[in-house]
Amino acid sequence: MLLQMEGITKRYGSLIANDRVDFSLQEGEVHALVGENGAGKSTLMRILYGEEQPSEGRIIVGGRERVFATPSDAIAAGIGMVHQHFMLFPSFTVAENIVIGREPKAGVKFDRKAAAEHVKTLSEKFGMPVDPWAKVADCPVGVQQRIEILKVLNQGAKIIILDEPTGALTPLEVEWLLKAIKRLAKQGISFILISHKLNEVLGSADRITVLRDGKVIGSVKASDTDAAALSRMMVGRELAKFERKPVVPGEAILTVDNVTVLGDRGTKPLLDRVSLTVRAGEIVGIAGVSGNGQSELLQVVSGLRRVHSGKVTLGGKDVTGLSAGEFRRAGLAHIPEDRYLWGSAKEESVADNAIMGHLASLSKGGILRKRLIREKVARWIDAFRVKTGSLETKAKHLSGGNMQKLIVAREMAHGTPFVIAAEPTRGVDIGAMETIHEALLKRRDEGGAILLVSSELSEILKLSDRILVLYEGRVAGELSAGDATEEKISFLMAGGSGNETH
Amino acid sequence: MKRINWTAYAQSLAAPLLAVGVGLLVGAIAIWAVGGSVGTTYAEMWKGAFGSFYFTASTLTRATPIILTALGVSLAFRAGFFNLGAEGQMVFGALAAALAALYVPGPGPVKMLAAVAAGMLAGGLWSLLAGWLDTRFRMNLLITTLLLNYIAVYTAGYLVAFPLKEKGGTGGAQTAMLDNSAWLPKLFAGTTLHAGFIVAIAAAVLLALFLTFTTKGYEIRMLGSNPLFAAYGGVKRGQLMLVSMLLSGALAGLAGTFEVLGTQYRYIDNMLTSPGYAWSGIMATLLAGSNPIGSVLAAILLAALQTGGMGVERNTEVPLEISSVIQSSLILFVSARITFSFIKRRKARAANGNAA
Amino acid sequence: MGTLLDWSLLSATLWKVAPLLLAALAGALCARVGIFNVALEGMMLIGAFTAILGNDLFGNVALAVLFACFCVGLVSLLFAYLTIGLQANAIVVGMAINFLANGLTAFLLYAIFGVKGQYRDSTMSGLPQWHIPVIQDIPVVGELLSGHTPLVYLAFVLVAVLQFVLFRTVIGFRLLAVGENPAAAKSLGLKIRGYQYGAVVFGGVLCGLAGAQLSLGQVTLFTENMTAGRGFIALVATMLGQSNPLGVMASSLLFGFLDTVSTRLQGSSIPTHFTMMFPYVMTIVVMLFFKDKTYLRQSGRLDGK
Repeated sequence: MLLQMEGITKRYGSLIANDRVDFSLQEGEVHALVGENGAGKSTLMRILYGEEQPSEGRIIVGGRERVFATPSDAIAAGIGMVHQHFMLFPSFTVAENIVIGREPKAGVKFDRKAAAEHVKTLSEKFGMPVDPWAKVADCPVGVQQRIEILKVLNQGAKIIILDEPTGALTPLEVEWLLKAIKRLAKQGISFILISHKLNEVLGSADRITVLRDGKVIGSVKASDTDAAALSRMMVGRELAKFERKPVVPGEAILTVDNVTVLGDRGTKPLLDRVSLTVRAGEIVGIAGVSGNGQSELLQVVSGLRRVHSGKVTLGGKDVTGLSAGEFRRAGLAHIPEDRYLWGSAKEESVADNAIMGHLASLSKGGILRKRLIREKVARWIDAFRVKTGSLETKAKHLSGGNMQKLIVAREMAHGTPFVIAAEPTRGVDIGAMETIHEALLKRRDEGGAILLVSSELSEILKLSDRILVLYEGRVAGELSAGDATEEKISFLMAGGSGNETH
Repeated sequence: MKRINWTAYAQSLAAPLLAVGVGLLVGAIAIWAVGGSVGTTYAEMWKGAFGSFYFTASTLTRATPIILTALGVSLAFRAGFFNLGAEGQMVFGALAAALAALYVPGPGPVKMLAAVAAGMLAGGLWSLLAGWLDTRFRMNLLITTLLLNYIAVYTAGYLVAFPLKEKGGTGGAQTAMLDNSAWLPKLFAGTTLHAGFIVAIAAAVLLALFLTFTTKGYEIRMLGSNPLFAAYGGVKRGQLMLVSMLLSGALAGLAGTFEVLGTQYRYIDNMLTSPGYAWSGIMATLLAGSNPIGSVLAAILLAALQTGGMGVERNTEVPLEISSVIQSSLILFVSARITFSFIKRRKARAANGNAA
Repeated sequence: MGTLLDWSLLSATLWKVAPLLLAALAGALCARVGIFNVALEGMMLIGAFTAILGNDLFGNVALAVLFACFCVGLVSLLFAYLTIGLQANAIVVGMAINFLANGLTAFLLYAIFGVKGQYRDSTMSGLPQWHIPVIQDIPVVGELLSGHTPLVYLAFVLVAVLQFVLFRTVIGFRLLAVGENPAAAKSLGLKIRGYQYGAVVFGGVLCGLAGAQLSLGQVTLFTENMTAGRGFIALVATMLGQSNPLGVMASSLLFGFLDTVSTRLQGSSIPTHFTMMFPYVMTIVVMLFFKDKTYLRQSGRLDGK
C-alpha cells in the first residue's frame, strides 16, 4: 500500500469534520472520494496535504509514518494537490508557474530559458502539451489545470490529489482530463479524485470511497457499483421525488434585450448581444461553464454593472443604466452568487445583515424601527431555521449554510415579482438545500419570475422550466424543461450550436 | 435575550484600560531613562490635567476641538474612507469662521451663526474636494486628503500674512480681533471652557444615535463594512461618500470655528497646527475604534495627557514631549487590538489539536 | 538668483531626489509583497534623527548611517510584526508608527540634546561629497553627476540592484509570487511571512538611508517633523511607478525636480507660502494625470474598521 490514513479524526471545537476515517491508496490507482458538501472530503485532503493537523490518527506513506506540518512536508513525501480554485500566478508564464519552488538557476539568476526547456520535456514526457512562454492569464481553464498537474508532477509527486477537477471544465476538456488521468496512472502515478459527479467518478476511478457526515460509509470497487447505489450511500436516504406543478407563465417580468457588455481593455465582449425573458410563474435556468458571462449577466440584471448597448426592463419599466437601488424598487430580490463578497457584511450583526434592502418598510422618516426589525427578522430566522445565537451576533459567527439561509430569507421576504437566485445552495447541507428549493418553487407557483444561475446541472434540471446555456458571453441555446438532458446541456456548454437542439 | 452580558462589557472596558496601562508603562520607562522620577512626574501630570477646577476646565477646553475632529474622522472611517485631511479642513473652517464673524454685519448672534455656518461649509467643501477627486478621478483618498492639508495650511498662512492681515496690527500673521458680541460664552467664569464643549458632547451623542438608528447611518456602516454588500443592497457609494466626506469635513471645520469663537477670538497662523488638534482627533478616533462616544473619552484622555504634559514641563525636568510618547505608544498598542482575539483563537486552535 | 532652468537645477534634483527615491523603493518593495506601507514618513523621520544621534555618538558618518539603518530596521520590524504577525490593519499601524516617530524624536531631541525644535552642531560633519575624477572635469556632465553624497549614488545603484533582483533572480521571482497570489505561494510551501518580513525590514533600512540623507546629506541638522510629508509623496511615487524600481525612479525624479523648482522659486517675488505649497499641489496634479491602475489604490481604503 502506497498510502494509508488510519483513524483520522478532526475536531473543530464541538464539530467533528472527520470521524475515524480510514483511507488507502495503491500505486497507480485512481481512488475517488465522494460525498455531499460538508461530508468531510476537503478536510481529509487538507490533512493529507499538511494544511491541517489531524486531532487523532496517523498517516503512513511508503510504509513510514509521517507527520505533515506544512504542505512542504507533504510535497517532500511525494504528495501533490491540485486545488479546486487553481493556485496559479496569472501574470507569470506557464514555465514560471510550473518550476516555481525548484527554479533552475544560473548563479543567483533564475534561468528562465532552462525552465522553459525543462517544462517542454516534462510536458512531452507526460503527454500534456503546454506552451512554456504563454502567460497563464491567457490560457483557457483546461490548460490551466494541465499546468497545475505538471507543476505537481515537477515537484516529484507520486500521489496527486485532484479537488473537484472538472467543475470549471467544458465536457471536452473533462473527457481529455479523465483520459490523461488514466494514462498517468499507467505510468505509476496515483490519484485521489474528489468529486460529487458520480458519472465521471464511475468512468475513471478504480475504487470509490463514500464519506457522509465525516464518516466512511463504504469503500467499493467502481466496477461493482452504480450511480444509484452511490447516491444512496452519499445521501443516506432516497431523495424525495419532486413534483413541479404545471404553471402557465404569465406576462414578461424581466426582459433583457440585445445586451452587450465589453471587457475592461476592450477585449472580446463579456456579454454579446444577450436576449432573454423571464415571465411570471416560471424559473429560467442559466447553465454554462463558469466564466462564460454568468457573473456579468447577474450584475447587469441587478443594476451592478453598466451595459454598453441593449436594454433591460423590469416589471414593465425600462431600468437600463439605473442603479441597484432603482432595480430593487422596480421589483428585484437577489440571492447573490457569493454570499460573503456580495451578500453580507461579516463584521455586522445578524439583524443589520437581514435588513439590507428592506429599509423603506422598516423605517419611518429616516429612522429605523428597531422593534419592528426585531420582530420581522426573528420571524424570517424561524421560517428558514437559521441557527444564530441572537440577532446581535456578528454575521461572521454564522456557518456558511446558515448565512445562506439568512440571505435567502431576507431576499424572499421582499415578495418581489422578480427573483435572481445565483448559486442559491452552494456549500449548504441537504436540509438547507431542500428548504431553499422549496422556497423558490413556492414563489414560482405564486406567480414569481425567477432567474436561476447555477453551476450544478442537477439543480438547473430540477428547478427550471426553461434552460438557457451561456457560452463565451452568448446564449448558445435554449431548452425547455421537457427537452433538457444533461447531455444536451453539456453539448451547448462546450460551444455546440444550439440550432439542432432547439 | 434581554440579559446583560457583563463579561462582554468587562472585556470591552478591559482592552482600553490595558492600553492606557501600557502607554503609561512606556511613559514610565521614558521618564526613568531621562532621569526623572516616575511617581513625581505622573503626579504632576495628573495635577496639570485634573489637579484643580481650572486645570480640569483647561483640559476640557483642549478636548473640545479634538472631540469634534474625532467625530468627523469617525464618520468617514465608519463609511470606509480614510480621511486624514482634518487639519486642512479645520484650518479652512477656522479662517472662514473668523472672516464671517468679522465681516457679516448684524448683532452678535447673527455673526456667530454666520461664522458657524461658514466654518462648517469651508471645512466640508475642502473635504468634499478630496471625496470628489476619488469618485470622479479615482485618486487615493488617503493621499489626497494628506496633501490637501499642506495646501490648506500654506494658503491660510498666506492669507493671514498678507491680504487678510490685521490692519495696523503689531502681531504676527493674524486677522483682526472679533467683536466680543460674537464670542462664545464661557461655561464657568474664570476658566477657558466655552460653550463649544457642550456642542461637541451633543454632537457625539447625535452622531452615535445617527449611526445606530437612522437609515443613512445604517447605510454608512454597511458601506464601511463591505462596500460590495452595500452596492448590492442599493446603497449609492458615490453619493454617500460625498455626504459623509462633507459631514466629516464640516465637523473638523466646526472644531476650527470654535477655536476662533471660543478661545482665540481671531484666526492666528498656526493656532491649530502647533497644538496638533487634528492629529489628536485622528488618534482619538483610532483609539476608540471609530465609536463616537468612545471618541469623546479618548479625546479627553489625549487632552489630559497634553495639558498634563505641560504641567510636567512646568514643574519637573521631564519635557512636555513625554505625552507624545505615551500617546503614540497607546495608539500603537490599540492598533494591534485584534491581537487579543487572534491570540485567543490561536490558543483555542492549539487546544483543539492537543485534545487528542 | 540667475535663470530658473540651468544645469545646476538638474544637479540639485539628483540630490533632492535621493531620500524620496530611497523611501519610494521601500514602498515598492512592501507593495510587491502586498503591504501598503504608510509608515514611510515616520520611518524616514526616525532615520533622520538616529543618523544625527549616531553621528553624535560615534563621531563617524559611516557608522551614523549604519546606526540609522539599524534603528529604522528595528522600527520596521515592529511594523512588520503588527501587520504581518498579528494581522492588524496596515494603514492604522502605519499611522500609529508615524505618530510614534513624531513623539519619540521630539522627546529624544530634548532628552538627549536638550533642545526643542531643532538640533544642529556646527562641529559635526555631514556626509562627504564625492568628486568623481575625470567626470567632474567634463563640463555639464561633471556638474550634473559629480559632487554628490555617497547615498545619492547608492540610491541609483539600488534601483538597478532591485530591478535585477526582482526580475532576474530566483529570490525576486518568489517574492513577486508571494505578492501576486499569497494563497498559491503558501500552498507551494513558500514562507510568505518570511518574504513579507524581509521586504518590510529591508524597506526600513532604505528609509534609514533616506532619513540619513535628509539630516546628514543636504544639511547637517535635525528639525522636528523635517520629513514634511515626503514619505507620503514617496508613496505616490511608488504608486505612479507601478512598484517597478525603474518606474519608481522616474516618478521620484519628477517629484524631486518639482521640489527643486520650488526651492529655486524661493527668493523670487512669489510668496514663500506658494513655493512651499508647490510640490504638494504638483503631486496632486500629477496624480490626476497618471492614473494608478494597481491594486494599491484599493489598499487606500479601510477594510472593515
